[in-house]
Amino acid sequence: MRQQYANRVQVLSAAMGLIVLAIIVQMTRIQNSPEAAVFRQQASNYAYELRTFYPDRGEIYDRNGHLLAGNQSVYEIGVDLTTVKDPHAIASAVGVELGRDYAQVIAAIQSPPEGASYVVLQDFVDVEPATRLQELKEILQKNAEEGALGSLTGLEFKSHPQRSYPEDSLASNIIGFVSREGRGYFGVEEKYDTLLAGSPVQTFVPTDPNKAFEIPRVLNGTTLVLTINRDLQAAAEQILDESLETYGADNGVIAVMDPSNGEMLAMAVTPRMDLNQFWNYASIYNKASDFNPVISKPYEPGSVLKILTMAAALDSGTVTPGTTYLDTGAILVGGATIQNWNQEPWGVQDMTGCLQHSLNVCMATLSTQMGAGTFYGYMDSFGFGHLTGVDMAGEAAGRLKLPGDADWYPVDLGTNSFGQGVSVTPIQIMMAASSIANGGQTVTPHTLYAMVRDGRQYNVPAQFAGSPISEQTADTLSGMLAVSLESEGSLALLPGYRVAGKTGTAQIPVDGFYDSTQTNASFIGWGPVDDPQFMIYIWLERPSASIWGSETAAPVFAEMAEKTVVLLDIPPDAIRQGLAAK
Amino acid sequence: MNIQNVNVNHLVHAYKVAPWRVQRQWIGSALLAVVVLAMIATLYLDVTSHAAIAGREIQDLTASISANQQVSADLQTQLASLTSARVMEERARKIGFRPMTSAEAEYLVVPGYMALEPDILSSAPVPQLSALTIPPEYTESLLDWADKQIANSARGAP
Repeated sequence: MRQQYANRVQVLSAAMGLIVLAIIVQMTRIQNSPEAAVFRQQASNYAYELRTFYPDRGEIYDRNGHLLAGNQSVYEIGVDLTTVKDPHAIASAVGVELGRDYAQVIAAIQSPPEGASYVVLQDFVDVEPATRLQELKEILQKNAEEGALGSLTGLEFKSHPQRSYPEDSLASNIIGFVSREGRGYFGVEEKYDTLLAGSPVQTFVPTDPNKAFEIPRVLNGTTLVLTINRDLQAAAEQILDESLETYGADNGVIAVMDPSNGEMLAMAVTPRMDLNQFWNYASIYNKASDFNPVISKPYEPGSVLKILTMAAALDSGTVTPGTTYLDTGAILVGGATIQNWNQEPWGVQDMTGCLQHSLNVCMATLSTQMGAGTFYGYMDSFGFGHLTGVDMAGEAAGRLKLPGDADWYPVDLGTNSFGQGVSVTPIQIMMAASSIANGGQTVTPHTLYAMVRDGRQYNVPAQFAGSPISEQTADTLSGMLAVSLESEGSLALLPGYRVAGKTGTAQIPVDGFYDSTQTNASFIGWGPVDDPQFMIYIWLERPSASIWGSETAAPVFAEMAEKTVVLLDIPPDAIRQGLAAK
Repeated sequence: MNIQNVNVNHLVHAYKVAPWRVQRQWIGSALLAVVVLAMIATLYLDVTSHAAIAGREIQDLTASISANQQVSADLQTQLASLTSARVMEERARKIGFRPMTSAEAEYLVVPGYMALEPDILSSAPVPQLSALTIPPEYTESLLDWADKQIANSARGAP
């Protein structure tokens, strides 16, 4: 009996052993069969997929955290030709929702490029029509017979971000825009294009969930915080628009800067464009320099440049504020006669009187007394003829002719002293004048307050571009300019605040001759004089109500200065000084 | 006759008397080995399936993070449009506000007040999804672990 059991066990063990052996043999055979190689190849084809990760473009904020440029989802709508069921239904739906021509859509689906398995019907579709199409596709799928495909099967939706500007045209000249190809044009968008865009990463991504940790981490583009104050910018644009209407000017500029550190607080220009419709650019602007004249449109500034001639004369010791001279109404420089703006003599004047009455003869006298070497040395150190380095794309350097240049004549030494025959941009004048408002130190104008990357904020420090004049000269000249405004009862004065500044009225050269009926009216000013916190530049092109800067640009300065002190919480001088005394 | 010869003779005798006892011992040992292997296989299957599920969840969450970031950007832009300078001014005028002049401003001294400075404006840092932050316990296989232990022992590391 026991022997019988033993035999059974042996037979059973042998049978089990054979089964196990058969399984192992079969496993080995399957693993090494040609079909297995094919399956392994197919599996490896799907093990990784090549994907390009496009980082979201960095946002742009104003200094108080208001979004100026962000990203918004749009859709690419296309057709997967391998799954499409009813091209006519797709063409009808797309025609209705996207306003596309039925025949064109049908042609795109039925006659695709050779080898194509997917065709794009329309890109950059807004969320609303794309959502409606998606809902329609779902409804048709639900209503289809059980097991059948909906008639919009094959219609595909791919969302991706698109640049969006919530403030529309506000600060358009500062921000610039991004094309649909993702490239920045003008302003900050172009200047910091690489930083904002980030770096796309193309890599093979494993589909194996066990390798999920190999998914690359793509950093979004750097977010920028600008020095611009949105509310001040809006006020500047509003004041500029009203001023153009009031004074009948063709175009204009209002720029506001903190003269202590070069931060641009506002920069209003005309015309402006809605950045969400950047394709209208060509119909709005004749040339690229019109996009942001503050930095890219050099012009002859006229008398606002006199403050720099006076700064050079005072700093070089050529004159003192009390130095007097006899104004005869004309002076001969380089064989040409230079006259005052009213062709009249002004008699004995001190240097404050020169500025107050904006005397061309006085300035030409100062420049000739300094000599070309000294005068142009100061103009060069003020930055004329050089880029300021402002961090916006498209800056122009202007032109300062120097002795030795082919087109420089001795008379230029006289005319340059009162802003004729020299072309500068508003930002260059502001940078140069910052040395007067800022105790002799010139600041580099800039629009970038901070960068935010990977959750960390990096503040941009102020940069100084040199000290062309001494602190004493700067303070003396500021006082002289304030007195000259007060003495003439300028329309630029702001009650409660002591401001310094200078008007400019420059005739516009037409066909090689200055046209006395067409002028550029300008004003540069800053305040409060004892602690300058804002510098404002006004430029009105061809004002028709009056050709004079003192009657057009000066009151615009006062209006802008009042808005500035309110929005920047700058108390009147008496209150501020009282608080400081405590 | 030594002790070894006695044991061998005893086993031979025992086999002749009851050979099924030894066979049962062999079968028992084999079954024990099978059970141990089955347990290891089950454990390995359990760990790898959990790892696969976790990996799939990571993939889903990564996709979800991207989608949520896009939704967040959309909402942020919409909010900015609704609070743009033009819209806010229109709303303020509609409810009776008007721009103030500098003469109307009153300045008060508030002891200890510090003017607000622009703060960090970005959201929290994006979670790190690279291998660097995932401990090796979650990525290495049993063999990798064993290799590492052996290597550490050879180096005398704790």
